[in-house]
Amino acid sequence: MIDKGKISAIQMAYIMYPTILATAILLVPAITAKTAGRDLWLSPVWASITGFITVFIATRLNNYYPDMSLIEFSEHIVGRWIGKLLGFFYLLFFLHITAIIIREYGEFIVGSFLRNTPISVVMATMVLVCAFNVRGGVEVVGRTAQMFVPIVLFLFICIVILLIPDLHPKNMLPILEHGLKPSLMGSLVPTGWFSEFILITFLLPCMTDRNKGTKWGMIAVATVMLTIVITNLASYFLFGALTSTLVYPVMVAARYISIADFFEHLEAFVMAIWVGGTFVKISMFYYAIVAGTAQWLKLSDFRPLTLPIGFILVMISIWTAPNLQELVHFLSSVSPFYFLSFQTVIPALLLLLIMVKSRSRQSRGT
Amino acid sequence: MRTVCFLSKLVCILIGLPCLLTGCWDRVEVNDLALITAAGIDKKTSKKIELSVQVFVPRSSGGNVQQGLNGGGGSSGGLTFVRSAEGLTIVDAMTKLQEKLPRRVFWGHTEVFIISRTLAEEGIRNHLDFMIRHPQVRIGAYVFISDNDAKRALELMPPLERSSSEVLRELAKSKAMLKVTLKDLSASIIGDSESAALPWITELPADDGKNKNNTVPYITGSAIFKKDKMVGHIDDTLTRGALWLRDEVESAVVTHTPKEANGFVSMKLIKARSELIPHIDNGKWSITLRGVTEDDIIQNATNLDLMNPKHLGSLELQLKQNIEGRVSACLEQVQKKMNADIFDFAGAFHRKYPKEWQQVKDRWDEMYPEVEVNFDLKAYVRRPGISTGPAGVSEDEVRD
Repeated sequence: MIDKGKISAIQMAYIMYPTILATAILLVPAITAKTAGRDLWLSPVWASITGFITVFIATRLNNYYPDMSLIEFSEHIVGRWIGKLLGFFYLLFFLHITAIIIREYGEFIVGSFLRNTPISVVMATMVLVCAFNVRGGVEVVGRTAQMFVPIVLFLFICIVILLIPDLHPKNMLPILEHGLKPSLMGSLVPTGWFSEFILITFLLPCMTDRNKGTKWGMIAVATVMLTIVITNLASYFLFGALTSTLVYPVMVAARYISIADFFEHLEAFVMAIWVGGTFVKISMFYYAIVAGTAQWLKLSDFRPLTLPIGFILVMISIWTAPNLQELVHFLSSVSPFYFLSFQTVIPALLLLLIMVKSRSRQSRGT
Repeated sequence: MRTVCFLSKLVCILIGLPCLLTGCWDRVEVNDLALITAAGIDKKTSKKIELSVQVFVPRSSGGNVQQGLNGGGGSSGGLTFVRSAEGLTIVDAMTKLQEKLPRRVFWGHTEVFIISRTLAEEGIRNHLDFMIRHPQVRIGAYVFISDNDAKRALELMPPLERSSSEVLRELAKSKAMLKVTLKDLSASIIGDSESAALPWITELPADDGKNKNNTVPYITGSAIFKKDKMVGHIDDTLTRGALWLRDEVESAVVTHTPKEANGFVSMKLIKARSELIPHIDNGKWSITLRGVTEDDIIQNATNLDLMNPKHLGSLELQLKQNIEGRVSACLEQVQKKMNADIFDFAGAFHRKYPKEWQQVKDRWDEMYPEVEVNFDLKAYVRRPGISTGPAGVSEDEVRD
């Protein structure tokens, strides 16, 4: 094992919660609303099934190889050369997806708040902070998550509660007007987000109470699902059909809050949620790349890789899309298949393979 | 060796630090901003529009006490001023406007948008897009349609509030008439009904002999929109009927003559809620307006003893009829003549009869005027105020 740090199962849940939610909460309501319409609140429920499956796959794989991450055990399962190749693709995939996340972060900050600041500066400073976090290893990532998540959660709950006077629940009727299809179609994009739970394969080997890993993984999926359902409902109750025309419904919703003439202009809350959440999210992905690369190259330490990889990440995040339109188009069209195949389908195949292998080994043994 | 290593690190840090000090791209000092409190759009020529903005003058705010001492007294004018510029679109005009302002235009505190009638009749879609798209503009800002120039409404110096935008904002919030935000407006235009209603403002004539700018714009009715185009307007009485159908009744006073006596009884509405219940029977579409209202008596100018429960029953009945009359009059105009679904009947049918709705969705325009409206109202008169018999009437004249 490359990282000597130890985390608990609860800390894993703390890391995974913002890792899924941070970007989902801002972009997903609008993307889901486009296809699911007023059934958008059902979509995350369908999508979370992927999350549960992914956690199941990850913990099962971990049972076979308790001290190994995705990069290492794939070598054991499919053989050295194919395993190395697969590992390489995974690293590239994680680089790409992390770059996209960094870009989403940058686009939001620049598009809504710091309009004149070069996006590279916004992204590079974030990556730098995350680099310090990642250099500290999994233990530090876990603890910063533990620190940020309660704040993020508190602010989120504040926004929802303060919005209640402006919500119109009748907007969600009629339920399932066109059958299940729209909500299922709408669940495609969040599915990609939920498949990110495969990242726990990088956390499970460092866990002190691994037997609780499945339980807390499932709890994390459930809370993420619940949070997205609440977000989607709140956006639709407030904006109705307008939801799909806004880029960041939650941010606009926070701006809409006005209590007693003076308690208003709360978009700083959203900014705090976004920055705190994406910090944990980027750190987690970043850690997976750095630790994964070190494992792939069989290095003794992953720390020296942190800064160079951070540099590459900033570069890729600039190259990844020419503008926000392209980014959202990618996220709402190709991304579910891309994310799903790497994060759920391939691990599922690996699990299947190892199950067949071990069974045949058993039958040969007897 | 160790010192060299330390020194090189120190040098790196020292070189790195100034990079963080190059300045903030987005640093904006409050005193570099022109805070726009309200914006108005007028039609200038066939192609051009005129954007007028009401800019807040920060230095005179909070100095109200001093002004009073200096004899500024009654009027607190000069807290805002109006600038305008012409252009093809709002943004085009804004660029030109910026040239006339020494400070940067800031939309974050704009709470009122006024669109002039002539422009509204041509369609407001283009302008609405800017208001929804610009990151600074708040989607909770109120929208009004002005009978005269929007610029004129901005220029007025209200005697009581700090600016005409504050007057309009407070009037909208009081919910005596419509209160429509940018969000409501754009949601209802793209909603099932594809119609909207906006508060209609006119200028209150100034008292004789006073400065004619020393007055306020106030809400006198509603402008009715189909899609993004204004198709007509209704006065304040009809608007109250519309409020009933939209479940937005907040405060109202009803005055009428009881059948039993001469004179008037006024009742203040304490609570009111209403609901639209759609029905489809054998292809006949109808809507029931179910409403409940609780009222207090606030003036009794008759010689009736309103402590007598038997009069209350009759009062309640007449109150009900009064509301029905208002709503019917409003429907006559808006539903039958203008054919604009500002009450969201479409949404009500869509929610209850999704399948049937899908069939008529495309010809809702033809269906809508045919929808019959029934009433199921309940009115309760709860309290007589804090006095019992009619005041100033001797006991012999009071009728039980």
